[in-house]
Amino acid sequence: MRLLVAILLTILGLQAQTPRLTEVQERRLANGVRVLLVERRGLSAFHATLVFRGGWAEEPPAAAGAMELLARTLYGHAWPEDVEPSKTPPALDALLKQEEGLLESIRLERLRLRQDSASSSQVPALEASLESIQSRMRALFSGSPVSDLYVARGGRQVAEATADALLAHTQLPQEAFEFWCRTEAQRLRVVQLSRFSQTRAALVTGLRAQGTQGLALLRGAALPGHPYGRDLTDYVPSLEALRWSDLKAFARRSLKPDHLTVIIVGGLSLDSAMPILEHHLGALPVPPEGEDAVLPEIPADLGDRRVQAALSGVPRLITGWRIPSRRHSDHLALRMAAQLLGEGRTSRLEVRLVRQKALLQQADVTMDIPGGRLPGLLVAELRPAVGHSLGEIEGALHGEILRLHQEPIPHDEWLRAVAQFEAAHIRTLDEPAALARALGQAWAEGGDWRLLELDAQRLRTMTPESVQAAVRAWLKPSHRTTVLLEPTPGAALNPLEADMARVLTALAALRIEDPAKREHLVSEGLRQLRMLNPDERIRTLKLLEAQLTPEKR
Amino acid sequence: MRGILLACLAAGLALQAQPAAQRFTLPNGLQVVHQEDHERPLVRVRLHLRIERGDTPPDRQGLPLLAMRMFVHSDAADLKAEAFDRLLEDSGLQLEAISVPGGFEWSLVARSRDQDRGLGLLADRLLRTIFDPMVLEAQRLACWRQEEGQDLLPYLRLQQVLVQDPATRPSIASLGAITLEDLLTFRAKVFRPDRAVLVIHGDVGLEQAKRLVLLSLGSWTTQELPQPLEPSFSGAPPTPAATPASQPRILATGAGFRIQTVSPRPVDLQPEAFDLLSLLIPGESALFPVSIAIRQDDLVTTLDAGTGTTWPEAWSMLQDRLAALRQRGFSPGELDQARSAWLAGRRLASLSAETQMTSSLIDALGRGTTPDRMRALTLDQLNAALRVWLDPRSLRSGTAGGAELLRTLPTP
Repeated sequence: MRLLVAILLTILGLQAQTPRLTEVQERRLANGVRVLLVERRGLSAFHATLVFRGGWAEEPPAAAGAMELLARTLYGHAWPEDVEPSKTPPALDALLKQEEGLLESIRLERLRLRQDSASSSQVPALEASLESIQSRMRALFSGSPVSDLYVARGGRQVAEATADALLAHTQLPQEAFEFWCRTEAQRLRVVQLSRFSQTRAALVTGLRAQGTQGLALLRGAALPGHPYGRDLTDYVPSLEALRWSDLKAFARRSLKPDHLTVIIVGGLSLDSAMPILEHHLGALPVPPEGEDAVLPEIPADLGDRRVQAALSGVPRLITGWRIPSRRHSDHLALRMAAQLLGEGRTSRLEVRLVRQKALLQQADVTMDIPGGRLPGLLVAELRPAVGHSLGEIEGALHGEILRLHQEPIPHDEWLRAVAQFEAAHIRTLDEPAALARALGQAWAEGGDWRLLELDAQRLRTMTPESVQAAVRAWLKPSHRTTVLLEPTPGAALNPLEADMARVLTALAALRIEDPAKREHLVSEGLRQLRMLNPDERIRTLKLLEAQLTPEKR
Repeated sequence: MRGILLACLAAGLALQAQPAAQRFTLPNGLQVVHQEDHERPLVRVRLHLRIERGDTPPDRQGLPLLAMRMFVHSDAADLKAEAFDRLLEDSGLQLEAISVPGGFEWSLVARSRDQDRGLGLLADRLLRTIFDPMVLEAQRLACWRQEEGQDLLPYLRLQQVLVQDPATRPSIASLGAITLEDLLTFRAKVFRPDRAVLVIHGDVGLEQAKRLVLLSLGSWTTQELPQPLEPSFSGAPPTPAATPASQPRILATGAGFRIQTVSPRPVDLQPEAFDLLSLLIPGESALFPVSIAIRQDDLVTTLDAGTGTTWPEAWSMLQDRLAALRQRGFSPGELDQARSAWLAGRRLASLSAETQMTSSLIDALGRGTTPDRMRALTLDQLNAALRVWLDPRSLRSGTAGGAELLRTLPTP
């Protein structure tokens, strides 16, 4: 009887325990693929996340946008033509090659016409041929509205390309586990990318329509020359030049087994899952050793930088401080500082600047922009309330940072921040999708999934003083970049910026033949010029104009 | 002895598995759905409050949105708004209010040890919020900014404008006309326990859940409608709402343009047909190059056109594709495929507490479906539902593109 009571107490105790990551089981497949499995008995479905380390930050400039395209073409859907060799029509490969050739011919013809608009255009004829090829391809695709293999089995899949990783998340009923393993292995073997052209067109259209964003301006100015500072909207011509076969080759180089971690949360045991994983994903070929991308380090002390720009939308002040990577000992302290400053409705910026002083409409503070594997940014984005200037709110923000430097953090405020952190941690552990994503992120950014638990443990011994010390070390003017965005009513570009673009384009045309490179150079030039104040910009414009012949000015 | 042990173990494990939902109703009419799950020390609560079409007077578009903002930003019980938020965050509680099709929803997530405080604060927010005229003015402005969506990317802005029914879309005039008295009347009409459904999920037993809900929301009663006050709190005289443009035009950069249409979910669409059409329509390859997606309850159709296509050509292509789908309908094989995908997909709910709560809520609101009803749906019913949903008369459309294109668009 006592034994019975003990067992019952154990079961109840298990249910009431504080969540821990000890339930994560780690294994390695023969080809180097890592497996993290979290067994949750009673679930009749599973969540699986594939995490490929090395996100868009590792793309060479010529392949800018490739990770985003892979997230959309390779992992956007599970089309039978892409993942089931028996259902792939033999003609599809040939048609995809023809389509690639025609797309490239159309692009080159358009570039030629931009230089010589008087000559006759081959574009309509080429486009007609392209349409004919594409309609033949569409005829080969499965016509069923439920042709996505995962949707047909009641599942769903989404993918995201971050600066540090490519993540593909799938949810399926439990009995589809082997099917999922087979499909994912097959997808990586084939890399068919049958919807490449339409996906690329949609991405380009979206990028052109959104134009340059405030956060991208900040990244470019705060992390100059670094892949983390890259803005994809500056690389649209390269993206248009990226071919189907280029993307396939990029996928084979980047999506290697030893760069992959598979995270599974569901009702599967390790014993039942491992043989299936080993059979399918463990049999993926290991490509010959290639060199991993070496990314440059950016010194945090680049000096106080400022960018002024006119974009459509509402006025905003975006300030970023260069902070260390996730593995750095100050990272967690800075995360707590971000929490104190801007997370939740009782954060300092919300209480003091939004509610009490009514200087702001909204304040958001975010860590690890754009990623955490390398030194990134802690960003505060502020929208002024009506009647207040960007200068005013910039002063107020600096005041709050100074307060954090100088005044001790009140005990109740500290306890509140810790409670919020802990509650958020439990919520993350609770949801399979959130847990898988957090584990994947910890691995991709910090090299170890255990960082997720380590952060929670380290928080227990952290003091407000250590947060203050980290703030003094990192949130200082020499680490800071400020972007001031003032809208131009009814126009996406202000006249000064439009003149700049015109002069830079004319100058670039004198020196660079390749229009794609020329367009990129103009974007980069505009980005650098935005860091000058308006007077300096006008002077620079005059100097640049002077280099043009009078008829070209 | 061994048998007993095994039985105990099995019972313990079963406790960790997905529990069946249990329902009860408080004496004040509040319906409660309880789902027990001791896997994590968390308790989640979702409270849905139904809004009916007649709740908003004809010239007060935006009243529900403004009321929601007032609830979030006002003092509650004897607590200032700031103190209320501090109490929430001291315990790491997450309390959010959102507008959903047909109602409001409050969502609370608390650690098990803070469940009493969490429920208590939710009740304070619901029952003891004090509407302040000063807060009203600030929130009226914030509401308009939210509606304008100036900080949204052009394509998102287009969608935001389109998904709103023009008849209920707020304008400056309609927001300006809303008085404190309107808000109090709206609150008295809508914030009633017999219009609410509460779902409580997580590390809480049935008896404990009953006690908690009764203690916190048992005193919730239907309020008397307030007597009209003279003069009104707002200086703004009631003015008729501006007629919203039937074809919104949003300025966007880039050489091409986007045409988007929204088909709202028909009021009488069967839940089974809705679920199956939500699976079938987005995958329809014959729509190419038009794409279609479900956003909340609406069908959103999008066509991105390049420089080589004129607006009339693009518009006609979009309409042709929709008309072809409407006429053709789906085949028996496609219905079967969608049905089996739906049945298999039900198991995914075990992966998310929020999804389980949504399912329970939908069931409690009478909008849920069962495998039997799904099997009973005929092809004719499905295709009839498709034709109703894609009826061109209910279509709302808009364009995002360059200034030159927008100037030359035909007047609707």
